[in-house]
Amino acid sequence: MTDNMLTDAAGRIFADRCDKALLDAAERGEFPDALWRTLRDNGFHELAMPDSGVALADAFAVIGLAGRHAIPAPLPEALLANRWIGRSDRLVTIGQVLDRRIVEAPWARQADLVLGLDSARGAYVLVERVGDGAPALECGHNMAGEPRDAVPVPEGADWVPLLEPAFAYLALARAVATAGCLSRVLELSLLYASEREQFGRPIARFQAIQHALAVMAGEVAAAGRAADAAVDALDGDRFEFEVAVAKARVGEAAGVVAEIAHQVHGAMGYTHEHQLHHFTRRAWAWRDEYGSETFWQRRLGSHLAARGADGLWEFLATRG
Amino acid sequence: MPCAVLQFDRIALPEETETLRAEVRQFLVDNAEHLTRPNSDFTTGHDPAFSRKLGQRGWIGMTWPKCYGGGERSFFERYVVTEELLAAGAPVSAHWIADRQSGNLILGVGSDAQRERYLPAIARGESYFSIGMSEPNSGSDLASVRTRAERVDGGWLINGTKLWSTDAHRNHFMIALVRTEPPSDNRHAGFSQIIVDLREDGAVVRPIRNMAGGEDFNEVVFDNVLVPEDRVVGEPGNGWQQVTGELAYERSGPERFLSAFRVFVELVRVAAADARQDHPDPALQAAIGRLAAHLATLRRMSISVAGMLEEGKSPEVEAALVKAVGNDFEKLLPEVARLAADSSVAALPHFGVFRQALADTLLLSPSFTIRGGTREILRGVIARGLGLR
Repeated sequence: MTDNMLTDAAGRIFADRCDKALLDAAERGEFPDALWRTLRDNGFHELAMPDSGVALADAFAVIGLAGRHAIPAPLPEALLANRWIGRSDRLVTIGQVLDRRIVEAPWARQADLVLGLDSARGAYVLVERVGDGAPALECGHNMAGEPRDAVPVPEGADWVPLLEPAFAYLALARAVATAGCLSRVLELSLLYASEREQFGRPIARFQAIQHALAVMAGEVAAAGRAADAAVDALDGDRFEFEVAVAKARVGEAAGVVAEIAHQVHGAMGYTHEHQLHHFTRRAWAWRDEYGSETFWQRRLGSHLAARGADGLWEFLATRG
Repeated sequence: MPCAVLQFDRIALPEETETLRAEVRQFLVDNAEHLTRPNSDFTTGHDPAFSRKLGQRGWIGMTWPKCYGGGERSFFERYVVTEELLAAGAPVSAHWIADRQSGNLILGVGSDAQRERYLPAIARGESYFSIGMSEPNSGSDLASVRTRAERVDGGWLINGTKLWSTDAHRNHFMIALVRTEPPSDNRHAGFSQIIVDLREDGAVVRPIRNMAGGEDFNEVVFDNVLVPEDRVVGEPGNGWQQVTGELAYERSGPERFLSAFRVFVELVRVAAADARQDHPDPALQAAIGRLAAHLATLRRMSISVAGMLEEGKSPEVEAALVKAVGNDFEKLLPEVARLAADSSVAALPHFGVFRQALADTLLLSPSFTIRGGTREILRGVIARGLGLR
């Protein structure tokens, strides 16, 4: 499948199968079974597997589209977990290991398998969630109402070495999804401003609104370009620094874009009934997952300080 | 109805640009005597000897045909040369406008005779141009310019005043936007672009001191200045279309986000000293990472626009967006740097150099979001691109 065929198909499925009712239901804790079956039937959970025939960059493009449509299922996690543990039709999700618990795992309550990532150890652990002896589960959620659950790491669990920078992959997944999400927020805002009338004309006619939307467009464009560049660097030796650039820049854009979008939408965008918050809350939540702006800025900044002033431009002046 | 979100394609610089980049870096090492006080702002160093050396290397007019002294090289190659010069803080002001836009205009719509007369000298780094757009009562509203040129025996008679023309007191020519027909209902009709010889034609050039103490921009008064017939560039009456066509070149280049880069370099120099201490300041590191993330992204957006120019497109809206986001970054940079490198690192080596670069840039910074189209004008262009106007 070429890049375009894949993303066209993904975009169609996401648009057809995900609407406000589904997002509201997911937020009440109902897993989107029908949507997930469709995704699995179409092989989306296998896209990042080494033998999928799809470039990893294209798998990230699908993650971007999932962000654009706020798909309420752990697609990035399933996709990457299958890459690392081998093909599985069971629902597998990923969390981070913290004090012998796997935390912040999307939909662990629903998953058959939970992969616990321990970046410091450079290894992961797999926890079965089915059958007898399933470990105690703690349900939680992020500020977008997306399930973020925790399970204990069992005593004597096997640690499997990670062969790839998994934390950076997941940070990139968040950055790419956020960039997609922000492009949707811009479109919603453009549409709303052109339809909403005050003082006898669409508010899009007012210069104050036009300038706010122009600022938003700049941030959305920057977020998209930063995320794309990190995806392009997947095979390179500076991948983690490009992820730092992307996660930091996209995170900064997320705050600006969400703020302007709500101002443009007025009180209407502050209601639960309007769909805007499904996207803005995700942008706010995702910028803190897998490293906030500050986390990645420090990582990048300490590297640049170590390189020294004369190495700064050399670092920035890349070909791609 | 609003239209699609603007697109910045993922474009990588071609591999062959790496050789060129290494050549430029070596050139800058070999010519260090021209970089005694480096400043990444493109208007701050007017050094004809340096410009001539660049011309000898074939690094001015790089994209033009060889028959006019150009190098027939790609926009990407030009991009690499310009960004290397700016990043190093080289004095590029003398030839900058001629290379960036005047030459392209003459190549695009000028006569063969004009191309032969002006382009080879520009490419040699010997002939410098200024922009003649703004006037005392015409800034952002460019279509309100009142300087007029009347067709008379022997040429065009120009009357009026141009303002903010950078380096007009040092450069050879100005391309002035003038009315050649009286105003009509179509306020964009009736303009022409005319080449004025700033040393021969009798225009009176008066430098204007800026708040930083520099004398870079000028008032240029035309009191019955007669220029020969053959100075009109392109079609008389077509000046507005020509001027707006220059904007993609004028607005998308690396000079729109690198003006404050020297401050960043000096900030990293301070941070490098800090990093050798027992407890490096994490806030200082975060500030550096933040600025690097912005800069790396802007540069890629700018290269995307260079790619569109290379494909022969006219990405006016994308260029306006790069300039708008880039200029805001140029103002963010000194503010972030200042707060990150405060008194806690003042005892470290290089802090004084950093503070001097910061002061130099802060005093220039009001111009960043004014010159080449104000932030407000750019946002209007972007809004039009989004289908809001």
